[in-house]
Amino acid sequence: MKNLATYNNVFKESFAIDEQKLVGLKYQDIPEWDSVGHMGLMSSLEEAFNIEMEIDDIIDFSSYEKGKEILAKYNLTFNE
Amino acid sequence: MNNDKMEGQSFGIPEIKAFQQNRYPLLFLDRVENVIPGKFARGIKCFSYNEWFFPAHFEDDPSVPGFIQVEALVQTFLMTFLTIDGFKGEKAMGLTWEKVKFKRTIVPGECLTIEYHLTSIKRGIAKGYSTSFVGEEPACSAEFMVVIPSVMQKFNPK
Repeated sequence: MKNLATYNNVFKESFAIDEQKLVGLKYQDIPEWDSVGHMGLMSSLEEAFNIEMEIDDIIDFSSYEKGKEILAKYNLTFNE
Repeated sequence: MNNDKMEGQSFGIPEIKAFQQNRYPLLFLDRVENVIPGKFARGIKCFSYNEWFFPAHFEDDPSVPGFIQVEALVQTFLMTFLTIDGFKGEKAMGLTWEKVKFKRTIVPGECLTIEYHLTSIKRGIAKGYSTSFVGEEPACSAEFMVVIPSVMQKFNPK
């Protein structure tokens, strides 16, 4: 639960978006999640979870849901 | 020139223009000293009354606009990482400006000395912090995140 709250907060702070709009959110769905926003999001997630993501994972991180799958590789679980 | 050979060097306008793409009337550095690629740069900008903005800011009491002070900080920041091998001449864009503080007014005839420390550069995103001085008096300070789009784009989802 704590990881999910942290994950959601990073999205909310990175894109100034309400939590109810996170489910289903994809790369470039909103103006804030553009190429620059993507790198800011990756940087903030790494800082929040104290991890260093691999290049392929950063490229594959194409949606809110996909991001959870990717972060599971870093031993992060997101129990709702 | 590799990074080791460049460490501690000083650059004037021709070299600054080779490393970064800012140009008159938006180039706000005269000289950069003690460049340590990937770590540090000291920028110097002297403001004479001939600067284009003084007649407008303000006619009866000229001073350097805050955004120009911040831009001088950013341009010093650029010199900490565009001097790294492979980044010379790349375009860079601001991502965040944080903790911007203005501690004194800068007037015609004064020189701003900026000390910029790069804390990280990763996947085309550079982070760092700065302080600046007029003489020994603290002037503006800030923390920036700047991106190099050509590097960053390699990491974007397809």
